[in-house]
Amino acid sequence: MKIIVDRQRCDGNGVCMGIAPEVFDVDDDLYLHVAESIPDDPELRARVRQSITSCPILALKLVED
Amino acid sequence: MAARQRIVIAGGSLAGYSAATELTTLLPGSDIVWVTGEPHRTYSKPALSKEFMQGRSELAELMLPDIGGETKGLYTLRERQCTSLDVSARSIQLDDGSGIDFDQLLIATGASARMPDMLRGVGGVFSLRTLDDAMAIRARLERRPSIVVIGGGLIGCEMAASARALGLDVTIVERLGSLLDRPFGGAFGSHFLDLHRDNGVKIHMDATLTDIIIRDGQFAGVRLADGIEIEAGLALVGAGSQPCTEWLDDSSLAIADGILCDAYLAASSNGIFAAGDIARWMNPVYGLQMRVEHWTNASAQGRAAARNMAAATGRPELRKPFADVPYFWSDQYGQKIQMVGWHVGHDRIDIENDGGGMLARFYRDGRLIAAAGVNVPRAVMKLRRQIEQEAQGLEAA
Repeated sequence: MKIIVDRQRCDGNGVCMGIAPEVFDVDDDLYLHVAESIPDDPELRARVRQSITSCPILALKLVED
Repeated sequence: MAARQRIVIAGGSLAGYSAATELTTLLPGSDIVWVTGEPHRTYSKPALSKEFMQGRSELAELMLPDIGGETKGLYTLRERQCTSLDVSARSIQLDDGSGIDFDQLLIATGASARMPDMLRGVGGVFSLRTLDDAMAIRARLERRPSIVVIGGGLIGCEMAASARALGLDVTIVERLGSLLDRPFGGAFGSHFLDLHRDNGVKIHMDATLTDIIIRDGQFAGVRLADGIEIEAGLALVGAGSQPCTEWLDDSSLAIADGILCDAYLAASSNGIFAAGDIARWMNPVYGLQMRVEHWTNASAQGRAAARNMAAATGRPELRKPFADVPYFWSDQYGQKIQMVGWHVGHDRIDIENDGGGMLARFYRDGRLIAAAGVNVPRAVMKLRRQIEQEAQGLEAA
């Protein structure tokens, strides 16, 4: 599982971070950091998928393994 | 072989979309009928009052990914309004006269913009709720009118900020003594006032609208109780919203400012669920019934309701209460403004201001129940877990 951030779109609103803080981290310059690897935990991965569909500006894309 | 189960989803916005996405995955053997009043596919609403209104994003960029269609058992009916629900017959009726029977129903028909009586039906007066509203406003903004914003809440302030970004003349008329008072629980009130004033917005506080001014059949402004007249070519109304439950008035469903739901998002009648702006559910995090009108709630709740519906269809392991810490944000003049948690009932607010940003912590009985920030997204989001844990320890009121 890999996450691609569209940097043109991402405005650091932190919706993803609210849902899966283990994977997403918005810093105070509103830059989104994404964990390099996502643990193989079904509950966490479900939340990561939810983060991606919850992004209000559709800045996140998921590439499944 | 048993007949295919039919699930009906009423409402085409995010909660319905999120439920439809989940149900097509969880229940591939069911028919899912999705009824939407919209002519459009599901789109991103937060952008409507921000990037879209400012002309910084276009229609295609707002559209959520396509879920798929009939090959996934999903049948979408567009531009149809639900007109009634018959709980005992287990069917809904649509405005084209047709009826649809269901085994389970998800109600996600959302909320509509509240419009003060005196402004209703007047040309040049707009509220913003849908993409069509936003397109109509955008078209009017091209004539570069001066603007009066009625209501200094979230949507009103966002529309004011967007209109200023376009260089338009903007006046906000607010009933209360501060901006964004309700969404932010009174925190940052003077900051919001300075922010809008510094960006050139004229603001009338504690103002009561008494009259509208019509000239040559066109909206030309408003009059306030203190006699002040505000000239404007366009009124943008942000006067709150109300859950779209009229179509359920004759049903036996329990409704009180939203559809009353338990922690599993189940309404008062078996097999009927609700999600999104229309659902007033028992949130186990706070032990309170609440109705949340924000984007992330609609997304998470649609999904949670879908899972509980699937649980009733042979997937009992999916049954789970919807325990959530609400969250929303706003962008105004480049500032990132956020709220996480439920501040209603707080007895103390602590505000930290380090010059670069501001963080407010809301407490009740010494427990952190919500946090809000201006330009400190990381600090706000980091408090989410703590809020969830501390709120769960609240004594039931």
